[in-house]
Amino acid sequence: MLVLFWVCAAVLVFTAIAVVSSRQPVHSVVGLIVNFAALAVLFLTLSAEFLAMMQIIIYAGAILVLFLFVIALLTIGNQPVDRGEGRLAFQTVPSILSGIAALALMAIGVRSAWAASAAAPPPDFGTVPSFGQELLTTHLFAFEATAVILLVAIIGVVLMAGRKEVRF
Amino acid sequence: MPQVPLTDYLTLAAVLFVIGLVGFLVRRNPITMLMAVELMWNAGNLAFAAFARNFGDMSGQIFVFIVITVAAAEAAIALAIVVMVFRHRAEVDVDDISVMRG
Amino acid sequence: MATLTALSLTILLLPLLGAVLIALAGPYLPRTASAIIANAVMFVALVLTRIVALTLGHQPASAQSLHVTLGTWAHIGPLSIPFGMLIDPLALTWMLVITGVGFLIHLYSAGYMAHDRDYRTFFAYMNLFVFTMLLLVMSDNFLWLLVGWGGVGLASYLLIGFYYDRPVAVLAARKALIMNVIGDVGIMIAMFLMFAHAGSVSFDGVFARAAAIGAPALTWIGIWLLVGAVAKSAQLPLHTWLPDAMEGPTPVSALIHAATMVTAGVYLIARCYPIYDHAPAAAETVAVVGAVSALFAATVGCVQYDIKRVLAYSTMSQIGYMIFAVGAGAYAAGAFHFLTHAFFKALLFLAAGIVIHNLGGEQDIRKMGGLAKKMPLAFWTFAVGTVAISGVPPFAGFFSKDTIIDAGLALHHPILTALLIVAALLTAFYMFRLLFLTFAGAYRGEHQPHDDQIFTMNVPVVVLAALAAIGGFLASPLAGFLGGSFGRSSPYGIAGGGLAPSISELNWPVAAGMFLLAIAGIAAAYALYVVRPSLRDNFKRALAGPRALLLNAYYLDPIYHVLVEVPAYALAAFCARFFEPAVISGIPRALTGMTSSLGDAARWWESGQLRRYGLTIAIGVVLLLAYYAFVIHAGQSSEAAIAR
Repeated sequence: MLVLFWVCAAVLVFTAIAVVSSRQPVHSVVGLIVNFAALAVLFLTLSAEFLAMMQIIIYAGAILVLFLFVIALLTIGNQPVDRGEGRLAFQTVPSILSGIAALALMAIGVRSAWAASAAAPPPDFGTVPSFGQELLTTHLFAFEATAVILLVAIIGVVLMAGRKEVRF
Repeated sequence: MPQVPLTDYLTLAAVLFVIGLVGFLVRRNPITMLMAVELMWNAGNLAFAAFARNFGDMSGQIFVFIVITVAAAEAAIALAIVVMVFRHRAEVDVDDISVMRG
Repeated sequence: MATLTALSLTILLLPLLGAVLIALAGPYLPRTASAIIANAVMFVALVLTRIVALTLGHQPASAQSLHVTLGTWAHIGPLSIPFGMLIDPLALTWMLVITGVGFLIHLYSAGYMAHDRDYRTFFAYMNLFVFTMLLLVMSDNFLWLLVGWGGVGLASYLLIGFYYDRPVAVLAARKALIMNVIGDVGIMIAMFLMFAHAGSVSFDGVFARAAAIGAPALTWIGIWLLVGAVAKSAQLPLHTWLPDAMEGPTPVSALIHAATMVTAGVYLIARCYPIYDHAPAAAETVAVVGAVSALFAATVGCVQYDIKRVLAYSTMSQIGYMIFAVGAGAYAAGAFHFLTHAFFKALLFLAAGIVIHNLGGEQDIRKMGGLAKKMPLAFWTFAVGTVAISGVPPFAGFFSKDTIIDAGLALHHPILTALLIVAALLTAFYMFRLLFLTFAGAYRGEHQPHDDQIFTMNVPVVVLAALAAIGGFLASPLAGFLGGSFGRSSPYGIAGGGLAPSISELNWPVAAGMFLLAIAGIAAAYALYVVRPSLRDNFKRALAGPRALLLNAYYLDPIYHVLVEVPAYALAAFCARFFEPAVISGIPRALTGMTSSLGDAARWWESGQLRRYGLTIAIGVVLLLAYYAFVIHAGQSSEAAIAR
């Protein structure tokens, strides 16, 4: 288990850096796919089977495909070269510094003594039936609300796509 | 089986989050920036799932589900906006847009 | 008493009213209206002053003053400054001259200034001057005296610079004002000392405590008052403004710089006689300043060739006599010389004015000559004045000068009196030199002189000539009159007052000696300027060095320039070039710079750039995490540690 964890962790970090630093967006997408796969494995180690499946199906399957479509749409005829250094002054260095600061501070928080974990969770923890049970009883409102969010997103996208020329 | 301690998961989540944060702030291609945002969400999801397993509370996993849903909606809208804005531009660069000024 | 108060107030305020009226309504009235208003005001003031003087003069000696307090001007803590009038014989002497000679000069100006475009302004200024001079002599406390003092300085500045499009005149006005201000400061310091030691600035308050204050403090007060007097009366070393002040119109020179304003210093010291009686050192200093100035000016006057400049130096010299007199303790003698001097000096200036007017503005006596036939009235009146000032009996100057010499000898000032005697010789010499060069010999000028007969100009000079002739006989009435002003503290302060009550009481040997000196001076002038001009050329060549020294007034003007003006200009330049841009402008500039830098910094956040906003959010998140980590988390772990 431990080995699995560390392998996945390494893959996650490595691909994350690859996503963030690739020149070509398509390379970033591929990296992100591998990232999601490793994350799904980690979910499995955390007894979250349903979530692992959701991660692959929705995230890797739908959302990243959407990304690929948009990349294809935007880069027809263009060379999507991402210039390395930003024109904006005082952006990269402060960003990196904030990142390091955030990491350090989070590490302080993470290192506290957590309550001793309970024994291994019940065997049906994270299975589809128990997940469904939990979702549709205790968190029903949240479930319905996300339905509304999806509706809003659909309406928004349809409206935007139907517009004639909009110049910025 | 010996469990991986909680703090390890949380540290991993923190690292992933920071990579996503810095990536978002440093890159200029909007699509890459959105992918960095996705990384940040996933880091949060990892943390939630780890806490759920640790305290035996399903709410954490439910929340991961909600986050995935909202992320999907948001990615859709964000990409639609990106397409609209950059459809007729030669360079796909976020620094060219300053419509939010003022 | 009440009518007298009303009359006195009218005398004081009428010229002010006249000035204001001319200033406001003058432009809308015909030109002559301004002259008429001014002269009417002066005439009424003259009549009223005579009435007041006669009324008070007929009172017994102890009741010859009118002291009226019209109210409290200011009450500042322990200091209470009244607003009142003190009309005693000393003040009345001055008032009679101011209104009397003043009226004659106003009349003269109506003719002399007739072609000037600023005719109305001139009369407004002249009336203003009369008002401030009356305020000076009629006040009963030092503050209002100082107000009048400053006021005459202002009027002098306005009138010297009357021809304001001549840069020379403007500079002369400025110089006069600056030197006068030095005197003002002196008087103010004296006032501060008076308040510190006597707690009052009114005449009564200070003089009553004069003996109590003690000699050291009193000496300082006396010296500072002397500084004021020296500046206003053009004595050494603050005299350089007076010759330059001749840039003003001739009536101005007559009224302000001969008869009245420059005698304000004499009035001041005479008024403060209790102070000087109790501070012999200060009085001695006054006497020295007067005598030295008298001789100094007399030497310089011998070589000047501008007719008005000669008269200016002669004024300085005669005032030196007056200052010496009041410094030596012969207050009444000083006042008497003031009276006679006002007559003949005003006469000399006005007659000179007729000459200048008829020559179209020429003032250089080297270009004059032989005008006796061409301008007989001017010649005869000027001659009367010259004889009077030279101390030839029975004209006025003889009596007044002689009295001062007498007093000097009697009050044990041999050396200073010797200086005055030499000055008298020189006075006779240079005044007759002036007379001969102007009126005798052949005409050396270019233009043909005309002989305009202007009524308003001729009458005053004739009247003044008469007064200069017979004024000497006013000695005894004046002595009796002034006896009411000066207490018993000095032998020359009481009835007898330094004046010979009658002709028979003159010190005949001294008088005869002075007369002979005068004759000697006249003879020398006659010889050099009429009979043998070649002798004069020899003298000029032989004494070229000293002559240059005298011509340039001992080079005092250049010396003052280097000592005072150059550092002042350097300081001003420094301030303008360094201090002002760096500090005074620099501070606001720094503040505005800071504000715009702040603005520039704030603009960073409004760029509309997505990544900027993201960075801002990230920094906010870091701060929140820091708060959690260091405040909440630390608190929690320490609680846990304590609980364990």
